[in-house]
Parts: sequence; C-alpha cells; structure tokens
Amino acid sequence: MSRIIELFPFITILLLLIFGAFLTPLIKKKSSIVRTNIAINIITMMMNLVTLVYVNNYGTFIFKFGHYGSPFGIIFHIGPVEVAIAMMFSFVITMVSWYSFYSIEKEIEEKRVGFYYILNSLLLASLLGIVYTYDVFNGYVFLELSTLAACGIIIVKDKKENIKAAIKYLMLSTLGSGLVLMGIAFIYSISGHLSMEYIHEAIVASSLAKENLLLISIVLFSIGLGIKSAMFPMHVWLPDAHTTAPSPSSAILSGLVIKAPVIFLIKIYYVVYGFEFVNSSRILQLMLIFGGTGMIMGSLFARRQKYLKRLIAYSSVAQMGYIFFGIGLGNELGLIMAIYHILAHGLTKSSLFLSAGSFIEQTGFKKIEDFKGIGKEMPVTLGIFTLSALSLIGIPVLPGFISKWNLALASIDSGMIYLLIVILLSSLLNAVYYFPIIINGYFGEDNLDGKVFKSKSKPIKELIPVILLTLAMIAIGFMSGPVIEFIRSGIYM
Amino acid sequence: MKTSIVKNVVKVILPLIQIFGAYVIIFGHVSPGGGFAGGSIVGSSLILYRLIYGSERADRKFIYFYLLKLVSISLVVYGTLKGLIFILEHLGFNGFIPIGVPGNLLSGGLIMPLNVLIGIVVSITFYFIATLFEEGELENVNGAE
Repeated sequence: MSRIIELFPFITILLLLIFGAFLTPLIKKKSSIVRTNIAINIITMMMNLVTLVYVNNYGTFIFKFGHYGSPFGIIFHIGPVEVAIAMMFSFVITMVSWYSFYSIEKEIEEKRVGFYYILNSLLLASLLGIVYTYDVFNGYVFLELSTLAACGIIIVKDKKENIKAAIKYLMLSTLGSGLVLMGIAFIYSISGHLSMEYIHEAIVASSLAKENLLLISIVLFSIGLGIKSAMFPMHVWLPDAHTTAPSPSSAILSGLVIKAPVIFLIKIYYVVYGFEFVNSSRILQLMLIFGGTGMIMGSLFARRQKYLKRLIAYSSVAQMGYIFFGIGLGNELGLIMAIYHILAHGLTKSSLFLSAGSFIEQTGFKKIEDFKGIGKEMPVTLGIFTLSALSLIGIPVLPGFISKWNLALASIDSGMIYLLIVILLSSLLNAVYYFPIIINGYFGEDNLDGKVFKSKSKPIKELIPVILLTLAMIAIGFMSGPVIEFIRSGIYM
Repeated sequence: MKTSIVKNVVKVILPLIQIFGAYVIIFGHVSPGGGFAGGSIVGSSLILYRLIYGSERADRKFIYFYLLKLVSISLVVYGTLKGLIFILEHLGFNGFIPIGVPGNLLSGGLIMPLNVLIGIVVSITFYFIATLFEEGELENVNGAE
C-alpha cells in the first residue's frame, strides 16, 4: 500500500498532463470539458491530501523515475514542505476552476474556454513538478513549461493590452530562465552533476578552489528566479500581466505561479549550495535588501493606483517582499515563515483577486473610486475581500499576522532589530491602501445613498469556492502552530 | 512557385521524403534518428505539399480537426504507456516487455512504439506551426468545423 501512495505525486502530474491537458481537445461539449477538468483537479487534491497524511505519519520519501537512482535518473523528493505547498496549489486551482465554471465565459470568448482549461492543467502540472523535483535541469524544464502556460492564461482573453502584457512577461521570464540555465551550466561545469544532492557533495569537496564560479552561479540563480517570482526591482512585468488577465487567471498567477520559483530558489540555496556557503556569501543580505525595499515600495506603488486589480497586483509585489525578507534573514524561523507566507499569501491573494473579479464582473467598473458603497450591493463578497485584506494588513489570528509576528521574532533572533521598522511600516502601508476600499464600501452616508441592498450580489453557489478559500485561509491562521511545526520538520536547513 | 515543373518534381519526391521520414522514425532505436528527427522530415513533406499545391487542397486533404484529434490521442497514448512503465517499475513488475535481440527491428522494449507516437506528434505540430504563420490562426483554416 505504501508503494502505491508513493506513486501519487507522479500520478497527479501524469493525470494533469495527459487527461487534463491532452484529452481536452477530444471532448466536444464545453460543459463536459469543464466538468472533466474540475474532476481531475479534485482527484489531484485528494491524492495530495493522502500524500500529506502519509508524509505526516511516515516522513519524507523519494520517488525514482524509471530504473535508476539519483545521479543518473531523475528523482522527486517528497517531504513536508513539498506536500504542504502542493496541497495549497491544488486546492487553490480546484477552487479557481470551480469559480470560473460560472464566470469565465463573461471574460473570454466561448471557443477559448477549452484552451483556458488545458492551460490550467498544464500550469498545475508544471508547478507541482517544480515543487517536487530534486534535479536542477528537470526543475528548469518545468519552469519553462510553467512560463508558457502562464503566458497562455493571460493571453487567452485576446485583447490588445493582454497581448502586450503577455509579451512583456514572456520576454522578462525568458530572460529569467536564461539566467537560470546559465547558472545550471556553471554549476554543472564545476560539479558534473545535475542532481541536487550530488552537486552539493561535489561543491563541498571543491568549494575553496571555485569560490568565484559558485558566487557567479548563485547570483545568476537568485536574479533569474527573482525575475520569475517578481522580486522587487524585477517586478515590472507583474502589474500589467496580473491586471489584464481574466480574474481567475489573475488569482492563479498571483497565488501560485510566482510562488513556485521561490521554492526552487530555496532548494537551490539550501540543498545545492548548503547553508555554510550561502551564509558566507553575501547573497542573503541581497535578498534581505530586495525583500525589504519590496515590502515598502510595493505598498507605496499600490497606494497610488486607481484601478482595483492593479492595486492588488502591486500588493503582491509587497507580499513577495515578505517571502524574500524571510529567506534573507538566514535563520531557521525566517525560512519557515517564508514558506508559511507562501501558503498564507497563496490562499489570501487568490480569494482577494476572485472577489475583486466579482466586483468588476457585477458592476462593470474598474476604478477604485467607483466601488464606493459596494458593501451594500455585494455584502458577502466585500466581506470576503475584507477578511483577506485584514489578513494582509496583519490582524491577529489571520495568517498575515502570524507570518509578520514570526518574521519580527526572526529578525530579532538574527540580531537586526532595526528590521522591525520595515515590517511595521509595511503593515501600516498595507492598512493605508486597503482600508479606504473597505470603509468606503461599507460606510458613509453619501456612499450608500441610492444603493439597493444585495442588488448586485452573486448567487451564493457561485461564491462557495471563494468562501472555501477564505475559510482555508482562516484555518491556516488558526492552526498556525501545527502548520509551522509540520514545515519545520521538513525544512532544508 | 506553382509552375508545373515544381509540381511534377514534388509529385515524385514527396513519397520518397515520407518513406525516408518513416524509416528514420521506425529505425530510431537501432540507428541514428528517432521520433523527433523523423517526425520533422514527415512534417516538412506536409509543409511542402501545402506550399506547392496551395492551402485549399492541403486543407481538404489534412483536416485540422482530425489532425488535432490524432495529436491528442498520440500524446495520451504516449503518456499512458510511459507512465505505466514508471508505475509498474515502482511497484516491482519488471521486464515483462520482451527486449529482443539487440539490432533487430523488434527490440528495445517500448522505444519503437513511443518513437512512432513522437513522430506523429512532431510532424503534425510542424505542419500546424507552418499553417499558423500562413493563416494567422488555426481556427480560420477551412474544415475546422
């Protein structure tokens, strides 16, 4: 039985690639395409849940592809961090495809709905691949696949600004993966291996002689994967891409696509290079600076935006700053909180984008100033929006607070108390740009004047996926203790 | 490009190109070549047909919807076969596909059928890409329902 469960991560990827992506063109009816895809997503989620329970009980395991082990074949490393992230990914994608079952036809042409679901499956398969893999080049292949699929779900709307944004994203992303490929070439020339563990052994054996080469390669990896995951100065593609994409795509892009490269980067740092080298090189300070400026500048940019989705997109830049900040602190708690924040932010930001998408869909407005009094027209949706926004601001119990609190503790641990100012300032800035939307939505005589209660709200069955996302977010906040312990048991340090 | 000399020459060499492509695909596991190389040769023959005899005749001959179906089925079969091998290997069922005498056509386990499937996918994809550059969008091609 345990042999069968060890197959599940592989089977999920295979299922998504074969039946999710390539079987879809054979199905004629649109509604059955959607049903098949949602069914496959639910099966994936269930399998990931079983794997999660299995890893929780029996610990990490390794899945070998084909007949050969690590130096010659490709292996998947399935530990607590991987299953937690994979579970979050498949849960979010399931909820988003459930949501888009009702609403995607309002945003994209009907004949493209099939494409959208094909790309969704491809995207989830490639993201799971990036999370699971323990082989550098295999990770690169999945990274490329995820880029193409992500460009696809932006361009599927087929408007002028979409094509522009997607080309921008494609260019920068290709630059990023080119840098990653260069980094792989450098470490391959030093070590002669592509498997992460074996590269690490070779690096440990010859680290003193090749220090500059290692430094170049680690910078290439950091910048390349930083572009892909919208690290602050390289975030320029993100606002356009995430704003113009259809709302379900925005939720996936912001919640998942920019998170997977971070996991890959963490693996590169701590599995390939090892803690000693990463700590002795200054790369973590670079992460800290980029993350810290991202936290503040992303929020400052977000404050200036006039369009709702653009504001949320810039908020993603700020939240990615937290993740890089956690990595940059260079201690165990920081790394754990980076991974916890990936989970938290994935759930939060996808529900935020979906609720913003339903505002835009029901009212037709895009600017923030037009959403005054929306709380009377769509109370439930704004409630969801409020909860997610409160989590990002950092109200206790919600996961945003947990990660901020622990990041503060981690920065005290690392001896850099002045970093608390950055965290505090960023939280305040978050409040500055989220509260006006909420307050103008629910309160104010002028704002509520002439609005009819629940006049524009969606049927409750169309809101169930978003509500489930929000509930999962609250649950991950409430059960932060066990979640953090679970992540700690599989942390790479 | 559509003079009768070209048309007649192409009429002669087209089957030869396709036979060579099929040869490269089928003997991929015992000689240089394989699914991708042979598939690109077959695909180039399809593109040549389209260039010389015009898009209307090519569309009548290679119907978009059926080609798409063929690609999808090939990919599904490929994934299923390859995935099944990995799964069975993991579960401990090993070597139930006879390997055969090295150098023979029927040897090397599943490599030959997998090469054929890759060849189908690659040739049709090459043809699609060429069509895409000509028409702008695949759905505009005649015969796409």
